[in-house]
Amino acid sequence: MKEQLKKAKAIIEGYDGPAVRVMEVCGTHTHEIFHLGVRKILPPQVELISGPGCPVCVTPAGFIDEAIWLALEKNVTICTFGDLVRVPGSTRSLADARSLGGKIQMVYSPMDAFEYAKEHKDEQVVFLSVGFETTTPASCLSVKMAKEAGLTNYALLAANKTMPGAYEMLKDSADVFLYPGHVNAITGNALNRKLCEEGGISGIVTGFTASEILTAFAVLLKKFPEGKPFFVNAYPRVVTEEGSIPAQKLIKEWMEPCDSQWRGLGMIKNSGLRLRKEAQDFDARVKFSIPKMEGRTSPACRCGDVLQGKCRPTDCKVFGKGCTPLHPIGACMVSNEGACSAYYQYNSRGE
Amino acid sequence: MDNLKGKTVSLAHGAGGKQTSELIDQVFKAHFANPELTSDDAAVLKMKEGKIAFTTDGFIVSPSEFPGGNIGKLSICGTVNDLSCMGAKPLYLSCAFVIEEGFPMEKLEAIAAAMEKTANEAGVKIVAGDTKVAGKGQVDGVFITTTGIGEIQEGVETSGFMAKPGDAVIVSGDIGRHGCTILLAREDFGIDADVTSDCAPLWGTVQDILSVTKDVHVIRDATRGGVGTVLYEIAEQSKTGIRLNAEAIPVQDSVKGVCGMLGLEPLYLACEGRLVIFAPKENAEAIVAKLREGKYSSEAAIIGEVTEEMPGRVVVTTEIGAETLLPPPGGELLPRIC
Amino acid sequence: MCVGLPAKVMTMKDGMAVVDASGAKREVSAELIENLEPGDYVMVHAGIAIAKITEEDEDEAEDLLEGLL
Repeated sequence: MKEQLKKAKAIIEGYDGPAVRVMEVCGTHTHEIFHLGVRKILPPQVELISGPGCPVCVTPAGFIDEAIWLALEKNVTICTFGDLVRVPGSTRSLADARSLGGKIQMVYSPMDAFEYAKEHKDEQVVFLSVGFETTTPASCLSVKMAKEAGLTNYALLAANKTMPGAYEMLKDSADVFLYPGHVNAITGNALNRKLCEEGGISGIVTGFTASEILTAFAVLLKKFPEGKPFFVNAYPRVVTEEGSIPAQKLIKEWMEPCDSQWRGLGMIKNSGLRLRKEAQDFDARVKFSIPKMEGRTSPACRCGDVLQGKCRPTDCKVFGKGCTPLHPIGACMVSNEGACSAYYQYNSRGE
Repeated sequence: MDNLKGKTVSLAHGAGGKQTSELIDQVFKAHFANPELTSDDAAVLKMKEGKIAFTTDGFIVSPSEFPGGNIGKLSICGTVNDLSCMGAKPLYLSCAFVIEEGFPMEKLEAIAAAMEKTANEAGVKIVAGDTKVAGKGQVDGVFITTTGIGEIQEGVETSGFMAKPGDAVIVSGDIGRHGCTILLAREDFGIDADVTSDCAPLWGTVQDILSVTKDVHVIRDATRGGVGTVLYEIAEQSKTGIRLNAEAIPVQDSVKGVCGMLGLEPLYLACEGRLVIFAPKENAEAIVAKLREGKYSSEAAIIGEVTEEMPGRVVVTTEIGAETLLPPPGGELLPRIC
Repeated sequence: MCVGLPAKVMTMKDGMAVVDASGAKREVSAELIENLEPGDYVMVHAGIAIAKITEEDEDEAEDLLEGLL
């Protein structure tokens, strides 16, 4: 083990301060924390809550319904990140739609969806644009490229989300927030500093390697007992104070804020992004006049409470029984980054 | 085979008449000819006394050619390796082809040539075969099913039920290369990496292991579910726990890179030329040393051990020295991006 | 969210960079970063370089910890 890791681990294991609730906001942190076994080295008074930062988990069932409608009713080729393929809609998932003949294409990047559209002019192509501030620039860029190339067969079905509204909603759910490094790479730290200075909300931005994650825990466990709100950027190699100005500009150029439905959390004001009026030729909802879809989720599923840290996955009645990664009921069980999936997969199946 | 150039397989080739004979003569007999392969309805074979191992496997892979092999090589390796894992010397194979109308003859010939080469290497004879042609779109290129018989070597008994606490877990080489190769060959994700399939016939590798000791509890080839799936199968069959050391698992750098980009776990990528071996700890070092001299097992390594605790589970000791559960095998491998 | 991967820029052409992450190569957009050059390190997410990183920076988190001890 590297010296750095050893030091950080010793600080974490030796923590004898007051009880502290830490929320990792980002799904990739959730995943890595389980993958590394970080929970196993945390002292009992450190409680870890998995927050809503997995785009797949907060994407409402109605969004999946819209995509399936496009694929099956309008013969649209759906390009999507692999993450979304098994997410349950109201009655079926994109994988189900694929077996019914829908054309569902997995891509690594929205730009690949654009390239696909360019090479298949006889198909209408829609990219399922989900994700937070980190992913949104790539979606915007694909629209920009499509416009420049004069494509008329490419559009986005947008469910992009932004974090500030969620931070506001979750502020009482934890004592310290582990902020998503790659979101801050785009947005910069101004908001997190403000939350700290004006709202007294402590947080630390960090990256995703073992060393970065353990360092962040070590730092927060040193700072927390001091009793003062703090903000630390523990990911300076990627996150700058001002973030990525070109990315912020690109998003503004193509998208504008809108109210957004979060699976489990409900409607959060101004927490989503949609294509601007000037770009509505690339807005799948406008282009295909998609009917309004409310989306239904199982009433037994407690994903909403899980995402807010109000309960643990294991407190949900369907967890590990009706709801498993192979047959998910709630979205938190679908993505590898979902809190329920991570609990199920890494936590001895519900112990 | 210049006379095959530009030609394609037609429905007539599968109709049982003159064209069928032509196809068989020009492609299959040209490569598979041996005294036991006759025009009669079945092969007549002599066997020694003792136990035989008998297995069958179907092969579909898209694309049918990939760096490091093609579906022909794969179809021989798959069945040869299944026999070998039982400690059985592979003797005879049958192969059944379902070919899509319009499939290029030259490609079919390349597939047959690879089968011949691989069968020769494995010391196995193809003694029966069948060819069907399906209409365009009814199959994807070519599907092959091979069935094989092998002779179980005396004193060898392996089974997934036999893993015991105290056994070492060994892999015969770096993992995940076949799955990674196919993923890249499909060109869905625009990623390029220097990875070739690990597809290989492993009877020689099994012989190497048995030359060190016959006291081997499990030999299993890690195929489509990867090493992770095999470990879960064995943990469940033998009602033991398995503890892996994450840092000891051999993975080629470029495979790691691809997995990093797509959020995939190398333990769940397919292999087609890798064995997972469970043997008493005291022989493990000697087995690994012998394997490292072998053509297909130079990266062999001890990756973990069998435990009494947590039966049915696979636990990983991670780079931070903590334990975590290896996520149990899921369904389709889905890249994780956002 | 947001799986990111540090990668080295191999070549640059028309606003696109070919990057290498321990042997996995892929073309990504360099639109968000000015004056990117071969040899630079970037953080890549979903086909786009989202930030430039310098190799030496990897130790910065360590310095942070040192400061606390």
